[in-house]
Order: sequence, then structure tokens, then C-alpha cells
Amino acid sequence: MLSNFAYVQPQSLKAALKQLETPEARLHAGGTDLLGCLREGIFGAKKIVSISGLNAFKGVRETSNGGLRIGALTTITQVERHPAIRSRFRALSQGAGEVASPQLRNQGTIGGNICQKPRCWYYRGEFHCLRKGGERCYAVGGENQYHCIFGGENCFIVHPSDTAPPLVALEAVVRIVGPQGTRSVPVSRFHVPPSEDFRQETVLAPDEMVTEIILPPAPSGLRSSYRKVRARRAWDFSLAGMALAITFKDNTVQKARVVFSGVAPVPWRSKEVEVAITGRRLDKETVARAADAAVREAEPMEKNGYKISLLRGVVEEELLAAQSGESPG
Amino acid sequence: MKNEEKGIYFAEGLAVPETPEPGKDPKPWKETNVVGKSRPRVDGYERVSGSAMYPSDYSLPHMLFGAVLRCPYPNAKIKRVDTRKAEQMPGVRAIISAATPEARVLWPYTPHMKVELFDSHCRFEGEAVAAVAAETPYQASDAVRAIDVTYEVLPFVTDERKAMLSDAPKVHPAGNRVGPTEHYSRGDVAKGFEEADVVLEESYRTECEIHTPMELHGCLAYWDGDLLNIHESTQGVYAVQSKVAEVLDLPLSKVRVMGRYMGGGFGSKLQPGKYTVIAAILAKITGCPVKLFLTREETYLCTGNRPASNMKLKAGVTKDGRLTALDFSVVGSGGAYPAGGTLLVDWLVKDLYLCPNVRTAATDVYTNAGPARPFRAPGHPQGAWALEQMMDALAKAIDMDPVALRLKNIPSYSQARKGNPPYTTTGLAACLKEGAKAFGWEKRRKEIAAEKPNGSLRRGVGMAACLWVAGGGRPPSTIILKLFSDGSVNLNMGASDIGTGTKTVMAMVVAEELNVHTDVIQIEHADTGTTQFATPSGGSKTVPTEAPAVRRAAIHVKQQLLEMAAEQLKADVSDLRFKGNAIVHGNDDAKKVTIKDLKGLKKRGVVVGVGYRGPNPEGKVVNPFGVQFCEVEMDIRTGEIRIVDFLGANESGRVMDRLTFDNQVFGGITMGIGLGMTEVRVLDEGGSGKMLNKNWHDYKLPTALDVSPRMTSFPIELPDPEANITGAKGLGEPVTIPTAAAIANAVYHACGVRMTETPINPTRLGVMLSDRPKEA
Ligand SMILES: Cc1cc2nc3c(=O)[nH]c(=O)nc-3n(C[C@H](O)[C@H](O)[C@H](O)COP(=O)(O)OP(=O)(O)OC[C@H]3O[C@@H](n4cnc5c(N)ncnc54)[C@H](O)[C@@H]3O)c2cc1C
Ligand code: SF4
Repeated sequence: MLSNFAYVQPQSLKAALKQLETPEARLHAGGTDLLGCLREGIFGAKKIVSISGLNAFKGVRETSNGGLRIGALTTITQVERHPAIRSRFRALSQGAGEVASPQLRNQGTIGGNICQKPRCWYYRGEFHCLRKGGERCYAVGGENQYHCIFGGENCFIVHPSDTAPPLVALEAVVRIVGPQGTRSVPVSRFHVPPSEDFRQETVLAPDEMVTEIILPPAPSGLRSSYRKVRARRAWDFSLAGMALAITFKDNTVQKARVVFSGVAPVPWRSKEVEVAITGRRLDKETVARAADAAVREAEPMEKNGYKISLLRGVVEEELLAAQSGESPG
Repeated sequence: MKNEEKGIYFAEGLAVPETPEPGKDPKPWKETNVVGKSRPRVDGYERVSGSAMYPSDYSLPHMLFGAVLRCPYPNAKIKRVDTRKAEQMPGVRAIISAATPEARVLWPYTPHMKVELFDSHCRFEGEAVAAVAAETPYQASDAVRAIDVTYEVLPFVTDERKAMLSDAPKVHPAGNRVGPTEHYSRGDVAKGFEEADVVLEESYRTECEIHTPMELHGCLAYWDGDLLNIHESTQGVYAVQSKVAEVLDLPLSKVRVMGRYMGGGFGSKLQPGKYTVIAAILAKITGCPVKLFLTREETYLCTGNRPASNMKLKAGVTKDGRLTALDFSVVGSGGAYPAGGTLLVDWLVKDLYLCPNVRTAATDVYTNAGPARPFRAPGHPQGAWALEQMMDALAKAIDMDPVALRLKNIPSYSQARKGNPPYTTTGLAACLKEGAKAFGWEKRRKEIAAEKPNGSLRRGVGMAACLWVAGGGRPPSTIILKLFSDGSVNLNMGASDIGTGTKTVMAMVVAEELNVHTDVIQIEHADTGTTQFATPSGGSKTVPTEAPAVRRAAIHVKQQLLEMAAEQLKADVSDLRFKGNAIVHGNDDAKKVTIKDLKGLKKRGVVVGVGYRGPNPEGKVVNPFGVQFCEVEMDIRTGEIRIVDFLGANESGRVMDRLTFDNQVFGGITMGIGLGMTEVRVLDEGGSGKMLNKNWHDYKLPTALDVSPRMTSFPIELPDPEANITGAKGLGEPVTIPTAAAIANAVYHACGVRMTETPINPTRLGVMLSDRPKEA
């Protein structure tokens, strides 16, 4: 069924990095996405490098300045339930809680979640599409009801992660370790849009790995939330969703980061909504204007026009809730 | 259990049902001790603990694993099959294809349309091309992938709406119509519309749903000399036997099919598949047992579906709520072979409500897609989707409560059948009235009408009704019941328990009649080698078919015991009766003998009772009825829907086991939620024609959160002594017929948007909501 591969379980970061130098080595965290990809023949593997032995990257720690360091191997359930994340970075806890199903949240890791492969059904199916090295994108003129309305070019996937949009909204940074050492990349620049490279989902090189995700301290007055709409009520990816991180002062939006899920190939920051609400109270008028702004640049495909009204609805609902403090962060 | 102490028979003094004279039918039970109570499954422990052996659990020495190579195109001709590389692979023991002499057999898609098992023209994605037997499942599937096939890929049509266009590719040389459009008509529809005060017309569509039972489709086949043994996950071992015998040209007696446990079928396992025959051929060639269970992906392509239905309905009603005319048409497709693409879709339009003027037209077409198989209440949920939404709209148009409108149109006889035969009972009115009361229909409608909107959330209630065209059961059924000398019982029955609790219900019937504990009843069933002929379990007919035969077999046992007692007590049989664990004389309780002390029983060691299913009442129709009510809460900004609660009021005659009854109601509603809200087969219509969501994640079944935890089963138990000698009618299908329509009606009530196409979820509803004129 699967191609033949070696399986290693290094016990140190150094050993893991060494193993990753093998061509066609695949990093294995929780395996919930990786095994599916291998089974579906999306890519092969010569060596599976399990990093489940790297205990240093499990769990959540406070940083000296009031932020958090989340180890890449922290499970999604742990992220969802962690008290500090719940109280100070609620969007992330909510995003983690919206992922897949309880079983997948228990097994899947936050590192794996932001590195997961697209869910486009052509990509996952028996189609040698552009992203897999083929000639064309089958979603164009095809069954594109679950594809993007923003940022599509060459390839029209939506980014599947529910944790990445809150991380972008909360200005989190990814720590990446590779043979050349360590580098830090904001989550907002971690994912690669197809306009830049339609073969690559993240900035990671094959021999690099994510070790930690760092959340800067939450400013006072921060309210953050994540809202996701899906076709059924559980175990389903986002049709349209929004992570919000708003700093209020005297009930006025001082600063806002608005990031959509389910509508673009990468977590999609909506500068339009941010501009429409910054410096204002989130009254009905502002919210309506923000909802208009949210979808102004949208370019729906033949079968996903519904995402426009859906996204409008999400934006309206969440902004009104943010003002009323119903989703405090 | 301490049998010695309490005796296997129940405590003394319990009433035992009367024993009719030989040749006479018993009266319906008046009071019951066992039947109708809540009896947990007799095999519950085995099923839950994992010790129950399902066909897919079996494993035999030297067993090989089969895998099937399937055509990846919706329409293609096979030019060449090169198995050379695959043959060299480790563990591979046999490869069969059209070139294999043993595999040159005909597969009957219908009695009139037979094709080669490995046909050189594959008319749907997933059609079998070749098959492998290897030592491990992985070797088998690797070898399948190594077979090199050259296809001539042909143009295809997968959408039934396009299949009738003149330039559509032809699925079969004679064209894409399965037959001429089927017409039905009664009365004068034009006149009916003239008499109406309100006439409405609407188009509706339900999407294609795929069969996805828990246990995959497949079997384990092995030969014992010239006897072919098959453990198959099936709803009917005898149906598998006859088709396999036909295809392989074997006597029925040389095909033994066993399927004691099975993990769900819902209509898709009423028949064997090509996989059954392929396993048998591979087993023959290799001389080893071959286990061939499909992968989930394969089952999505080739084990059947509920076809999509494209419907139009025009309806007329008078101001006082009398239906005057119904004009209905449907276009559907059973896929690439005749499979009832529009079967029974018009039945409810023809028969559910009193209406003198009705016309229907059904057009079944071929498409290059997997053939349909019967799917829980074939045709009915689709028809209900149209008819029951129309009834809701008519009620609104004449400003009448939807329940009240239906109550004005209750038939006591079947209008669609020749001669208008009466129903033995029709519980439709009772389901409507009592169900509405139990649900709080009027109260909730008033509350909702008075409610102020809560942000973007709206509540709504909806209901829909149904009958099921069958569900009366019928002959044949033969049951053999053995009472051993210690009072324990062996029940021998050919029917399968497809998870519905058939065994439990039959044990309860035996317990009721013989006054024995269900724990001492051993059931042998679903084995063509050792149990009696039975029709497959389906059509909501298993209980009304088998239970009367079981009751008769038990009575036959009792008659023989009475004769033994008469001899022993030197009395006349007609003076004897059962009381507790004994047979007593007249009113003289002193003159008695306990069953275990019957000399005749001790001597013979066993009493064998045989029971047959008698005929159905002549000139009458036995159908179950049902009505469902639900409340939804929806977000009018996003189109998200939460089902608040559901109530199913079902009239299916006598409730045999309250637990299995409620199980059906909850399961049926769950499945109906799938049709109404989540399930769609997605074919790559504009591109490859392939199915894009053939897995359990992209094909969306309802999850626990999509189904309300608040579901109520509300049986309407009308005595139906004419139906059969147990008074039970079928239940398994009516429970899923009205669900989707009830949800659509509740959504309309909540937000004023009429969802004429499934599925109702944010991908469709959101757009409808934003297109809707803004509320005042
Ligand atoms: C049926 C199903 C439904 C799902 N629904 C949702 C959903 O609704 N929302 C959602 O957000 N997600 C969903 N997911 C995705 C799921 O959350 C991810 O599979 C999971 O988070 C991945 O974590 P993992 O540890 O199992 O990753 P793995 O499967 O081990 O790895 C995933 C990928 O990331 C790479 N990787 C993993 N860790 C690292 C690291 N530390 N550094 C570099 N690369 C790494 C791997 O090489 C691999 O390519 C779903 C998945 C499935 C199977
Ligand atoms: S959207 Fe991207 S992944 Fe999907 S078919 Fe097109 S190129 Fe491939």
C-alpha cells in the first residue's frame, strides 16, 4: 500500500536534523495528516523521521515578558485547554477547539497543524494537478465549491488550518531550526501564497523543522476570538472563518488584526476590515461597512459564490459580538 | 441463571397465550408478558464486546486476500490488460481478468441485462477490470496497482439532467433512456386545478446519497470439494445463494452462504456483488480461501446509492383544505445499468393524501456513474421532500395549520392500487393528532410567532408525514423451533438480523408463546446450509414476515405438548391448557403435569414445531404510517442550523420491542438528516467525471453534533389484527421518509426561505438568505 520507507525516532533535535538530511525524509509529528498523504500517494517517503521523542518541544511555557512559547509537539487539545491560552489568547484556544474531531485534536500537534497539506479534493485525489507537479489546476472550471475567493493564482486552495489564522491575528512567530541554525518567521509570513510558489505551502526547507511558536504578550484591552462556519457541525474544515484580535480603548478599536480562514490559500489578513474598523466603535454602521469591505476584493469561482455572503455574515456577527464583549479575549 | 431453582419456564401462575386447535389461527395477544416490553438485544453483549464474528472477522488457514482493479474513468473501453509485472510480485497467487477462462461468466445487472464479469466496456468509474489473490492484503493491492491497462477513454455523461440532451454521449448504444417515461393518471387533473382556490408549482431536487454502512461490502469464499462456502456481509443469504448459483452455474445446494452477523446494509446488501463471484473464482483457482472486502473508496463507487431526483410538482387546493389535483414529474438515474433511478419517487404523491386527480411521470435515464441499489425506503424520502414541502406551502397559502391541512385529506384506502383496496389500519390521522400534541406543535408555533428575534438566531418548527408502500410482510417464511427436554429452545430461521434486532424480537415471540426465558433460546439463522429459506431482510418486512411464522412454530410445539399431556393425563386435548410451567386440566388444577415431566418429551428428547407465514388479508393493504416534527434554530447571517429536537410518531401496528422500535426511529431520523443537510455525491461533471468525495471525510455523513440529542420516539400503537397474527407492521423505512422535508419546513418557518434542493447547509442556505428580500 505505502512505499517502503525507513522509520527513525531520534531522541535529540540534533539527531532529528541529521535524519532530515536524507532525501525524501518526511517529518512525522502526530501523523494525522502525513499518513493520509502517504496513503493517497500525494508524495512518497524514503524515511519517516518521527519527532515524538523530542520532549523539549511539548507543552506551553511562559516567556519572561508575558508571552507564551508553545512547543511544536504540543497537541491541539492541549493548546485548546491551556489556561493561559484560554484566558489571554482566546482566539487560539477557540481555533484549536474548532479543529477536526476530538480524536484528531488529541493526536495532532500544533506544529503539524500549521504545516498540513492542502485539502483540495483534486490534490488529494488521483489528479496530477499543478501543485503536485502537473500541468493544470483542475479546480478551475471544476468542482470548486470549497476553493478560495481571495488570493487564487495558478492554484486555488484554501488553507485548511484553524490555528494559523488566530496565530497570525495574535502576531505569533514561528521558530525554525535547520542545518544553518535557528530563524524566526512571523506566522503571517510562514505560508506561501500560490502567486509566489504554487508548489510550496510554507517557507520551510525540507531539512528544517518548526520547534516552537511564540506568542508575544497580549496587550491590555485585547479581545480575541475565532469563529468558523462549516458544512456540518463537527469534523469539517472551514467554509469561511475569522480570527479577530482587537485592542479596545474606551470601546473604540485602537488596533485590529483580522484574519480569515477557509477563503484563501493562506491565512488571509483583511487589511480592508482592519482599516474599516480602526479608530471606530463597532456600531451597526461600521460593522456593515466592514462587512462590505471584507468581500470587496473577493473573486469567487463558479461554485463558491456562497462564501461571499457567508463571510459577510461571519464578519458582521463577530464584530458585533466583539463590541458587546461577548467574545472577550 | 439458576434454572433448577426457578425452572426454565416462568414462575407458575403467569398467563400463557391460548393454544388454537391445529389448523386454526391464534387470536392476537391481548395482554403480553414479554412482547412490547423493552428487551435489550439478545446478542448485545457479543456485539458490544467484539466477540460476535462478522463476516469480515473470519480468517481461515491458508487464506488469501483478494483485491479488485477498477476502471478509473467513467466511460472507457479496455484495449489491453497486461498482468506480467503483477504476476511476478511477491505473494501474488492468482490474477484474473477477461482473459481468464474461469472468469468468463455473465453478471446479471438485471435479468435482462447481463454483461461479462470483466466487461471490456466500463460504463462507470469503479467497474471491475481484473482481480488479484495474494498472501496479504497489501500485496494484493500493490499487485492490482501494477496491472497495466490500456484504456480507450470515451466521452461520458454523469448528470441525469444532461443525459437526455440530444448531443449527450450514449451510455448504451440504444441511448440513455432506461425505458419510456412511466405515466400514471387518475381523475382529470385539468379539472382539478380549475376547482382549486390556490394552485402552486415548484421544482425540487434531492442529491445522490451513497451507501456507507459500517461494515464494508465483501465476503470470504472457500471451496469444500464442489461445495462453495461464502461468509458474506449480507441482508439475505438466500439472495446471495441464488445469484451466485446462477452466475457460476451451480445447483443451489452447492452454494452455502452464511451471514450470521452483519454490519449494516440499508438496501445495498440485498444482493451479492461482483466481488462475491470474484472471490469464489479466485478461491477456485488458488484452492485457498479468499477474503475479499472492498475498501471504503471502492464502496463509494460501486455498492450503490440513492439516486438524485429532479422533481416538479403542481398542486391545487381549495380554501377549506381539500386537495383537488397533483401533477408530478421526476427525472432520475440509477447509473450505468437499470437500477430503478426513479423507483417509487412518485408513490407518496399518488397515495399519501386523498386526491381525486393525480398525474405522475417518471423518466429514468442512464448515466456513467455507479449503479444505484435500494436505499432505505427507495424513492420515498425524495417524493416526501417535494410533496411535504408543497403541503407546507399550500397550508401557508390558504392560511391553515399544516397539520390541519393534512388531517383534511386522510385516505382510508389506497388510491394508487387497482380497485382502491382499504388499509387494514391507517394511523396517519392518529400520528398527526397525537404526535402534534406530544411535540407541542401549536404551542410552539404560537411561541415562535410571538418571539422577538434574538440577534441573528431564529427558531422554526416543521413537520412532514409519510406512509411506506410495503411493510406488511408476506410469505414465504419457514421457521423451525425445537423444544428440548430441559425446556430450552432452539429457533431456526433463514432471515438475517441486519442490526435491527430481528433475533431479539423473534426470541421475545417465542418467550411470549412458550413462557420461557429469552436467555435459553438459541437462534440459528442466516445460513443456507442449515436454516430455512427466507427472503432478504429489507423493505421493513422482516418482523411482519418472520414473527408470525415464529409464533406459529411455537404454537405447533405447544399443540404437540398438549397431545403428550393428554396421553399422560388420560384426558382430552380440548380440556387441557398451559398454566405457568405446566399443562393443567380444565379447572382442576390438581390434574396437571409440568412440561419437563412430560414422558413423551423425555423420550423423544425434542419437540419440533414448524411455522409458516400465512397469506396477507385478501383485498387489503398493510402499510405503516408516520409523522415527524422538529424544531430548528438557525443563524440567518450564516445559514448554520442546529436541530433542537425531533419527534417521530410512528404507526407500525404492535410495538414488538420498545427498545428496537426506538432505535429505528432515532436511526431513521439520523439518516434523514444526512439526506436533508449533509450528504452529496460530488462528481467532477465538467472535467473527469470522477467522484471527488469518495471518503468518509469529504462525503459528509451527519456527526453526533448534527443530530439532536433530544429525539423522541412516540409510537402510535393501533391494533391491527388483520395484518398478521402478531399485529406488527414494518418500521425500518417510514422512520426516515419525512425527516428531510420536516427540516426544510422548519427552516422555512424560521426564516422564510424555501429550500427546494438538498442539502440544507451554509453552502446553499447562505446565498438564499442574502438574496431574500430584507425583512420588515
Ligand atoms: C479528517 C481530518 C479532518 C481535519 N479537520 C481539520 C480542521 O477542521 N481544521 C484544522 O485546522 N485541521 C484539520 N485537520 C488537520 C489536522 O488538524 C492536522 O492533520 C494535524 O493538526 C496535523 O498534526 P500532526 O501532528 O498529526 O501532523 P503530521 O501529520 O505529523 O504532519 C503534518 C505535516 O506537517 C509536517 N510537520 C509536522 N510537524 C512539523 C514540524 N514541527 N516542523 C516541520 N514540519 C512539520 C509533516 O512533515 C507533515 O507534512 C483534519 C485532519 C483530518 C485527517
Ligand atoms: S487548487 Fe491547487 S491543489 Fe487544487 S487542483 Fe488546483 S492546483 Fe491542484
